[in-house]
Amino acid sequence: MRALFTKLQMALGSAPQSSKDEAKQRLKLLLIHDQINLTPAQLERMKGEILEVITQYCEVEDAEQVEFKLNRMESSVVLHSLIPVRRVTARA
Amino acid sequence: MAECIVVTSGKGGVGKTTTSANLAAGIALSGKTVAVVDADIGLRNLDVVLGLENRIVYDLVQVVEGECRLKQALIRDKRVEGLFLLPAAQTRDKQSVSPDDMRRLVKDLKEMHDYVIIDCPAGIEQGFKNSVAGADRAIVVTTPEVSAIRDADRIIGLVEAHELPEPQLIINRYQTAMVERGDMMNREDILEILAIPLIGIVPDHSDIIVSTNRGQPVVFDEKSPVGQAYRRITDRVMGLEVEIPEFDTNQSVWSMFKRWMGLQPAREVV
Repeated sequence: MRALFTKLQMALGSAPQSSKDEAKQRLKLLLIHDQINLTPAQLERMKGEILEVITQYCEVEDAEQVEFKLNRMESSVVLHSLIPVRRVTARA
Repeated sequence: MAECIVVTSGKGGVGKTTTSANLAAGIALSGKTVAVVDADIGLRNLDVVLGLENRIVYDLVQVVEGECRLKQALIRDKRVEGLFLLPAAQTRDKQSVSPDDMRRLVKDLKEMHDYVIIDCPAGIEQGFKNSVAGADRAIVVTTPEVSAIRDADRIIGLVEAHELPEPQLIINRYQTAMVERGDMMNREDILEILAIPLIGIVPDHSDIIVSTNRGQPVVFDEKSPVGQAYRRITDRVMGLEVEIPEFDTNQSVWSMFKRWMGLQPAREVV
C-alpha cells in the first residue's frame, strides 16, 4: 500500500524523489568529478574566470541565473553553461 | 583455442569470488575443462567457496617460485569432471608475484585447459595488475549500489588501459522487489552509466549463503534461481546466445495497471 501511496504522490508531484533516482544522480556527479579530477575550489575559480571573459564582451543579465553544468557524454565530460546576456558591449 | 577470463570489480565484497567459482563450475558442467586461479594472494577464499580448502598442498606462489610443478598444485574437483583450482598463498603478499609470472602461468594453464578463470582481488594495485596480465578478456561484477558502480566504472577504464577488449558486466544481488519500489537502480540505469554489454544478472537470494556455508557452488543446484542464473551466464560466457529475460510476460492492461498501482509486484526472471 505504501508503494501505491508513493506512486499517487509522485503523480501529484508531491513525492520525494525515489531513492534509486537519487543514487543515480549522485553517481553521475561522482563519476564526472572522478573523471575531470578538479577540486571544487578549482571548479569555482574556473567558473569565475569564464564569466569574467564573457563580461568583457557582453553584459550578463543576472549572475544568479548563470548555470554551469558538467555532463557525461559517451566517454567524455562536457561542460554546458547557460549565461543569459543583455546586450553586446564589445569594446573592439 | 583456450581462453583466459579475469573476474574483477574494483570494490571488495560484490561477489567476484562467488562469480568465479560458479562460472568455473558451470563451464566444467558443460563438459569443458577449466582451471580457476585465486589471485588474491594473502587473502585466499576461493578454495572455501568451492569447498576444496582441505585439499590444498601447494599454492600459486610455490608454482611461480619453482617449489613445485603446476600439476602438483592444481586441485582436481571430484564432484565434476574438468574443474581444477589453483589456490592462492595465504602467508605471502601480492608482491610475491609479477605480471610476467602470471603471463607465464596462464600460458601453461591454457595449454592444459579449455578455459582459465582468474579471481582478481579487490583494489587497483599489484593484485589487479597481476590478474589482468595474462587475461584475454574481463568480466566486471557490480551490485546496484553507488559505491560498487563507481568502482566498476574505474575498473572498466583500467581494463581498457591494459589493452583488453571491452569488458562484460554482471549485475549481482539484484532485488526485483526493491527495483519495483524505485529503491534500487535497475538494469537500464546501471547500463546507462557503465555503457558496457551486460552478460548476466544474479538475483539476491539466500541460496548463495547456504551454498557458501556448504562449500557447494550454487550452479550445481538446478532448482535454485541463482544456480539457474549462473548457468545462463556460463552459457553466454561460452558464446551461446541465451536471452537475458525481461519481466514476466503478463502484459494485460489490468495487470500492468495493478503493477503500476503497486498491488502486484512484477516478477523478474534474470
